[in-house]
Amino acid sequence: MEDQGKRVKGLDPARAENLDACIKCGACTAQCPVTAVYPLFPGPKSMGPDAERLRLAGVALTPDCLSYCTNCKTCEVTCPSGVRVTEMLLRAREQEKEAKTRLTGRRRNVRDYILGRAEHLGRLGTVWPALTNAVLRRKTTRRLLEKSIGLSARAPLPLYSQKFRHRDKSSPLRELLRGDGIPDPAARIVYFPGCFITYNDAATGQAVVKVLEHNGFEVIVPEFHCCGVPLTTNGHFREAVANAVHNLALLQPYLEEGIPVIASCTSCGLALKDDYPRVAAPGAERVGAQTYDFFEFLWELHNRGDLREDFQAVPVSLAYHAPCHLKAQGIGTPAVRILRLIPGVKVLELDAGCCGLSGSFGFKEEKYNLAQQIGSSLFSRVQTGMEEKKFQGVVTECGGCQIQIAHGSGAETVNPVWLLAEAYGLKGKS
Amino acid sequence: MMWDGIIIGGGLAGLVAGIRAQERGKQVLLISEGAGSLTFAAGVLDFGRMEELQAQENHPYALLGEQAVRDAFRYLIGLCPVYHGEWGRPQAVLTPLGMLRQADLVPFRLDASPLAGAREIILMAPEGLKDFFPEVVKTNLQKQFPGAAVRLQRLRVEEFTNWHRVGKPVPATVYAKFWCTRQGALTLQNLLQETALEVRSGLNPVMVIPGLSSAFCPGLAQTLDKAPWPVVEVTSFPPSPAGQGLYETLKEEFRALGGELLIGSGVGRVEIESQAVRRVIVKSRGKETAFAARAFVLATGGLFGRGITVSPTEVREAVFGLPLYVPAEWSGSAFLGEQPYARTGIAVDDRLRPRHPISRELLLTNVHVAGRMLAHWDPWLERCGGGVSLASGFLAGELL
Repeated sequence: MEDQGKRVKGLDPARAENLDACIKCGACTAQCPVTAVYPLFPGPKSMGPDAERLRLAGVALTPDCLSYCTNCKTCEVTCPSGVRVTEMLLRAREQEKEAKTRLTGRRRNVRDYILGRAEHLGRLGTVWPALTNAVLRRKTTRRLLEKSIGLSARAPLPLYSQKFRHRDKSSPLRELLRGDGIPDPAARIVYFPGCFITYNDAATGQAVVKVLEHNGFEVIVPEFHCCGVPLTTNGHFREAVANAVHNLALLQPYLEEGIPVIASCTSCGLALKDDYPRVAAPGAERVGAQTYDFFEFLWELHNRGDLREDFQAVPVSLAYHAPCHLKAQGIGTPAVRILRLIPGVKVLELDAGCCGLSGSFGFKEEKYNLAQQIGSSLFSRVQTGMEEKKFQGVVTECGGCQIQIAHGSGAETVNPVWLLAEAYGLKGKS
Repeated sequence: MMWDGIIIGGGLAGLVAGIRAQERGKQVLLISEGAGSLTFAAGVLDFGRMEELQAQENHPYALLGEQAVRDAFRYLIGLCPVYHGEWGRPQAVLTPLGMLRQADLVPFRLDASPLAGAREIILMAPEGLKDFFPEVVKTNLQKQFPGAAVRLQRLRVEEFTNWHRVGKPVPATVYAKFWCTRQGALTLQNLLQETALEVRSGLNPVMVIPGLSSAFCPGLAQTLDKAPWPVVEVTSFPPSPAGQGLYETLKEEFRALGGELLIGSGVGRVEIESQAVRRVIVKSRGKETAFAARAFVLATGGLFGRGITVSPTEVREAVFGLPLYVPAEWSGSAFLGEQPYARTGIAVDDRLRPRHPISRELLLTNVHVAGRMLAHWDPWLERCGGGVSLASGFLAGELL
């Protein structure tokens, strides 16, 4: 009864408190990259806190523009009052889906189903990457994909690599065979590579592992599923939770031992830190505190005096783009701090906002142009900087940002781990 | 790692403190709960009446002294050369409603002085510009410049057709961003040429354009330089293109000097040992992140910046829980007159370190307070917000 009373009055305390923190200043809408380019999107304030009042009172607003929220979380980063605006929008989408009040075109449903499952695509794509890439590079394929399911023919789809594999030296079997008891947890580490590394950029994953091994860690990579962020942003909330439960089950034994979890993808990292602790499954209570962004972890090592700093000089000037989901983690820009430890490396922070791709948002036919418009400030800053020879390339942790920046500006864009690998003399070593 | 300085707060005072400290070779981290309040400022800076304010006991100007405020004035022009101003000679700028107001440091082209000699004023009215009321502005211009004929010239750009179709107003920052693109500048150039055919130069025409800020956009500035008559811009309601421009410029400068910005997650708690702050703990996602520094700047703003929070039982400084000076009487009867609550804030010594408001005892030895958080001043009545924030921010940056 009490529960029902709460629902009727809309007094779910956590949600009400989150809502009451909003002082209606409108900073979120002023900074929202989508609102600035898409007039049909009322903006985070209207669709978040404003509409939340009604939603809490049981009035469901179902504007079909909810799917235009890219989940970049700029609104949450901008908010001076800590309101979880994006979360409100995502939950509204979930409610909308459950109520089935709105059905978008079938073919786009199919597309969103597919894009939400980068992992399934990845498994297919990495069976024979060269063939997949050859097919995906064909204009006719792309036109067909646009016509059939609404996948933009111009979008920078990532190519597939050989699947990322890591010889797990600490599988339960090996541990038994080794018979030396439980190894020092401080020297072991779990790596959550994420779909982009696993299916599209295995080499970068290997570089991450090598850097960690160079620092004396034994790296463990369980058979994780996708972290769930693409599922959430494509409206498949239940499946996202299922993935989280699966991954938590794999993580739990390591979490109990106090072993840190490293994510090199900033979106996977954010999910592990921020979404997983709210999933009802064992391990959820530890995963937030034990997950580190890869560079955040290296910085912790540096602070403790445990980072190997036997760097060779790498004379290069680079521009750094901070991915939106790194900003949302609230840890600053540890990659920049680490890169500046390497002699010769010069880093200029771009600070030109979201790249626009937002995972799979920019792959969609009706959103491709918006994504390019959102990223236009960033692209022009990159192009100007390259023309003026201020830097020779771009680094950013997020795989999506990498392909979008390369697509929009033409500049070579890679993960900053490559600088470290080079400074350590690990590049090309296997 | 031990930072040389950590600045809490990303508004005018915090950013200037950060830039100054980086210039001095310090390693600085700036932590801000959200985007700083400059995104809401008009972008013009007030300094107020130095002599009067300096005479007030405890006023930040009395503490800082005239020379420090004058230095800060010049310092900002050095940082952002697009700002113009002469000490003690305020300029006129147009409010969003077309009234004249005074300001001391003004991005070029916001200076409204060309209007004084005009016999024709062409008021450009971009279609659907948010919070812009062309008829009101026209009427106000006509009243203030009776010697000029004010003509309203509506303009429409294809870019925003979709916005107009759904009846959604276009924010000034969105219009400004468009004018700032190559295509936008070209569109404006064509519009100016079309308009030129109808303008008689003998009437000393002046064009007023709202919803842009050419000072922060070199390409656009070039286009407007080529206009055959002076162009005067208009300050904007929030979010304002000039305020945004100043914010971006200062952030870029801070970063270029090697400073790090952590925007989006505020300080959750602090560790204090024998009257000195050792570490601030940021509410990162998933876990807390601790940052240690030798010295700290508190520039979190006042009531509106949420550096000070108010509940029915308590007025609280949000980060360190420092005791505040709170006037006995909160409000005054004249709505736009003296409102004592505006003077709420932290009392400080000459090194901007927090003191107890009554006992005057020094509270923290390695914290410097800057900007709106300082006690004993009123930015609205005294119109000295820019001056206090710049001068105290600059000094805090010197002291880090």
